Amino acid sequence: MLQKDFIAKIKQEFGLDPAHIKAVAEKKLAVTVDSGEALSFLIYLKNIDFIQLSLITAVDWIDENRFELVYTLVSWEKNLTVSVSTFIPRDNPVIVSVRHIWPTAKYYEWDINEFFGIIFSGHPEMGNPLFLEGWSEKPPMRKDFDPQAYSYERFPSRKYDYKVENKGRVIE
Amino acid sequence: MWEKVKDITRGHSLWMLYYCTGCGAIELPPTMTSRFDMERFGIGPMATPRQADILLVTGYLSTKTLRRVIYTYEQMQSPKWLVGFGSCTLNGGIYHDSYATINQLDQYLPVDLYLAGCMPRPEVIIKGFKQLMEMIKTGEADGWKQYQDNREWYRENQKKALGDLLYTTR
Repeated sequence: MLQKDFIAKIKQEFGLDPAHIKAVAEKKLAVTVDSGEALSFLIYLKNIDFIQLSLITAVDWIDENRFELVYTLVSWEKNLTVSVSTFIPRDNPVIVSVRHIWPTAKYYEWDINEFFGIIFSGHPEMGNPLFLEGWSEKPPMRKDFDPQAYSYERFPSRKYDYKVENKGRVIE
Repeated sequence: MWEKVKDITRGHSLWMLYYCTGCGAIELPPTMTSRFDMERFGIGPMATPRQADILLVTGYLSTKTLRRVIYTYEQMQSPKWLVGFGSCTLNGGIYHDSYATINQLDQYLPVDLYLAGCMPRPEVIIKGFKQLMEMIKTGEADGWKQYQDNREWYRENQKKALGDLLYTTR
């Protein structure tokens, strides 16, 4: 299916504003939807042959005080890739799980929950450890987490005795 | 007297267990196979920790793998030697500021020899092993004895990095 036809199809069937649809490449689309209508849009895409969920990932936009969730979907029949991104507030990061629509989402959502602290409601593993063992700090992929300070405090570093003979300086 | 004779014979036949935690494992196939052929020095790969003499830790160690390395090391029978491979085991390397990886292996396990570099080439591995064989023959490489003597200190450091998870199954 051509990209142009697909954009027209979404507009006609789902009623999405074309300003929210961006053509990234010849067979790739980026769609931004509100967090409220994200689930219904994802279900709509599942019903029109987007049977493969390739990835869910999150971005921490700390300056705008919000998280971006990106769902990458692939349709083999239409030969198209669509990435659906939605924004949720950073203070109360809750979104509905898509685990019942694509079973693969189980580990993506669990992973995001562990590394960003985003809660996917309807997912049974929220709060259980997946990769990190014995983690008690804030989620490590958040931008306000300082990995260097954590590493230096928890894991001792090797001390070297060295003498600086020529100190480097910035030439302007 | 007998220990000295034993040390000389031990140094000639080394079975190596390679714990491929990081990217350094890619340098081991050329070391083992025909180009560099480490068997001509009497070093062979071994599949199980209980029959191995050397534990080669190749690359960075996250806290999760450190726990398994400690188990592996403690399963090995003495005398045993531990070789840290690459700058990640030495001082953290490029992962010195990572929240998940340790910075210094000899805080947790007694390291007999470090091979510096990111990554060390097969020549360095062979040179390092020849040096380790010399150290074994002279009785200089006695990390396993130090681990027995200073067990409390090592255990304290292990607990500090791993928390209460040490010796649990999950």
